[in-house]
Amino acid sequence: MNEDILISLDNVRFSYPGAAAEALAGVSLSIHAGEHVCILGGNGSGKSTLAQMLNALLVPSAGTVRVLGLDSAASEDAPAIRRQVAMVFQHPEDQMVTSISADDVAFGPENLGVSAPQIAARVDNALEAVGMARLAHADPADLSGGQKQRIAIAGALAMEPRILVLDEPCAMLDAEGHRAIQGIIHSLARRGITIVHITHFMDDALEADRVIVMERGRVALEGTPEQVFQQQETAQQLGLELPFRLQLADRLRAAGRDVPLTADTDELVRALASTCSHGQNGAPAAEHVETGVAEAHAGPGAALAFDRVSFSYASARSARKKPHFWQRRASKEVGPLAVDDLSFAVRPGTLTALVGRTGSGKSTTVELACALKAPSSGHVVVDGIGTGDLSRRRALRSRVGYVSQLPERQLFAETVFDDVAFGPRNLGLSEEEVRTRVEEGLTAVGLPVTDELLTRSPFALSGGQQRSVALAGILAMRQPILVLDEPMAGLDPAGRRTVRKLLLDLKRRGTTLLLVTHSMDDAAELADHIVALEDGRKVADGTPHEVFATAEHLPGVPAALAFARALAAAGNPEPLTALPLTLDELVCALTGEEARHGAAR
Amino acid sequence: MALRVSIGQYYSADSPIHRLDPRVKLVGSLAFMVSCFFTATPATLALAAAAVTAAIAAARVPFGRLLAQVRPIAFFLVFTSLFNLFFVRTGPVTLHLGILSIHRDGLWAAVLYSTRFFLLLLAGGLLMLTTTPTALCDAFECLLKPLERFGVPVTQAALTMSIAVRFVPTLATEADNVVVAQIARGADLEGKSALAYARACVPLVVPLFASALRHADNLGRAMDARCYTGHGRTHYHVLKLNARRDAPFIALTLAYLAVLIALRLML
Repeated sequence: MNEDILISLDNVRFSYPGAAAEALAGVSLSIHAGEHVCILGGNGSGKSTLAQMLNALLVPSAGTVRVLGLDSAASEDAPAIRRQVAMVFQHPEDQMVTSISADDVAFGPENLGVSAPQIAARVDNALEAVGMARLAHADPADLSGGQKQRIAIAGALAMEPRILVLDEPCAMLDAEGHRAIQGIIHSLARRGITIVHITHFMDDALEADRVIVMERGRVALEGTPEQVFQQQETAQQLGLELPFRLQLADRLRAAGRDVPLTADTDELVRALASTCSHGQNGAPAAEHVETGVAEAHAGPGAALAFDRVSFSYASARSARKKPHFWQRRASKEVGPLAVDDLSFAVRPGTLTALVGRTGSGKSTTVELACALKAPSSGHVVVDGIGTGDLSRRRALRSRVGYVSQLPERQLFAETVFDDVAFGPRNLGLSEEEVRTRVEEGLTAVGLPVTDELLTRSPFALSGGQQRSVALAGILAMRQPILVLDEPMAGLDPAGRRTVRKLLLDLKRRGTTLLLVTHSMDDAAELADHIVALEDGRKVADGTPHEVFATAEHLPGVPAALAFARALAAAGNPEPLTALPLTLDELVCALTGEEARHGAAR
Repeated sequence: MALRVSIGQYYSADSPIHRLDPRVKLVGSLAFMVSCFFTATPATLALAAAAVTAAIAAARVPFGRLLAQVRPIAFFLVFTSLFNLFFVRTGPVTLHLGILSIHRDGLWAAVLYSTRFFLLLLAGGLLMLTTTPTALCDAFECLLKPLERFGVPVTQAALTMSIAVRFVPTLATEADNVVVAQIARGADLEGKSALAYARACVPLVVPLFASALRHADNLGRAMDARCYTGHGRTHYHVLKLNARRDAPFIALTLAYLAVLIALRLML
């Protein structure tokens, strides 16, 4: 056998008890020493099952998995395999056993029976490698998702593995956390650690040496990132979303420009900077900078208005302790206002994106908007009803709906029907009307209204379907204003597309939407208006073009704008004058084509 | 420099008390807490108060933080002292209040019991503020190790304790989120009969159970991946008595106990 091969799978099959289809239906592949492999595929394609095969957390029902020459089916070899193949999972909080970060990192080496001075050295090195040495003694509960995930990676590194398997480590993180993890993975790969990275993000895959695409338990496509993404049609059929730069190159070639079909930014920038621009003027810019925001501030017509709203957790209650009135004074030192003097208005029938870093006050703002928290000062008015007006609370609830983060975690009923019907029933509707609403809600999210589905337990559905049912439960309440907190978090590209389409459908039907998102691309693509927060204060408020033209406080920029800036830095500033925010606009700016208003607008 | 990171109840600082071996601190605190029940005279009470005050001063923990920990039980203290105040009916009467009368023994009992309890709580609070949950678990594990011979799974129990502490804030946040989301869907928890209330709780309780099970499932897998088998483990923090750090504390604790016993016997 080749010395170089660390892991080899030979025709591996696996099915979960009670499942109709096989999770893995004959997978053969090998992982070489020092390689950086990305595994892609939609929800339910068998990626996570495959990951757990690699370190003997699962053993195949047929076929063999050999890791470093050991057979994973031999249970006595499992510990030897796991000490060489460390693993990081999707939910950082579910990987931690103690409330001190450094002690948690030590958990692996402790289990391996490493001596105390050695453990200390390993912990220090591992924390250093993920840039968390400064927060070694922090409680994971006080860290952001990205920081927690870095601690989890440190915990895996402290075992000094040869191979690191990461199962969607960024699915629950914001853009900043995602970037940090990506950087860490990159530097570990350079240090010679073999990386197997399972991800929904195509840009992650571009960093890899090799990409493996899974579909229905099989390897559907394999090769270098370029090879895989160049088979565009196949890739798209497999539910992959092409990386932004490739989409751009593709569109430009379709428009007759001579650019290489590449995902390499530098190469593409060079090609575009050298082919002298078409001499198109910056006309599209004038067209795009909309001017309909003069009355952005709380006119009487606003569907949702914040007027000088402040909120402090100290004067409300601590999120981590039971509220005792005598504790209030003691906890006052806890910190600044979660939301500080915030004013903005959402016009009826529009989509407003609320953006900002983790901890900038987005979720608090959302809860204030839905009357789930009362402002410490100022007023929140929803459709003419103040959220402080308790006598009209019921009326208010029928006007504004709230889709929480990971809404599938609120499912509770015995059947899908009862779960979706929960909201409508609470509105006091007749049972007949409730049925209509349930069917309407499920249809809107694209689920079939069959008895088979209606009588199923929501817990028996797949992750993506659970999200859809949870969304249907809100839509069935038919509220004219909807507030959504990161509705696309943790979904695969197909799921993200479904939600994006749903949002546009809702807007077309006149629903007012307030969308919290950490994706600047989604904000640029979907929103009519963007409100940006930082440390609880508003730092930008306007159309996407206004906001991205000026604000420096945003947590990021859309990929199109970043590309235009790179192009400008390389000596072709012209596309940047049009301030392209979406792929469509960037293609327009580059080719001078008449602005094709994408479906988004 | 005192590094202030909010870690549950732990107050991060550098002091002789923080640096003590957690086993010494744990046993010392327990000894003190038991000794509180043997204070019966003003002299012994004053001695115990002096001992705990000295420990607090040495720990460099802000007194307000410590009081904040004790506060939730203050109600209980007030209640028991009132009970003593009015229902002890021995000794000369010091005050008449209508049908109630306060006897001198009652007055003393009120003072004694509430002070005793207060000192005991302070000692417990100080232990929690100056010891990380991990160190406490290690100390428990080490001290109870002999029980393993009788089949008590001490190591596992200590790890379970540490995991429980770790997941309290996670579950609390999730409970908060579930309540908020279901209220937004019109769940109504107010003004209902007991049965209706119980039924209204289903949408809150089911997701919480589901989420606890999901956490357990994921955590189990993650622990497997990190080679947890329950045996053959070593420890990051090796507990080792240090003569310079621990001996003075042990000596002072023993001296305190000796004086307390002497005072008791002299009576």
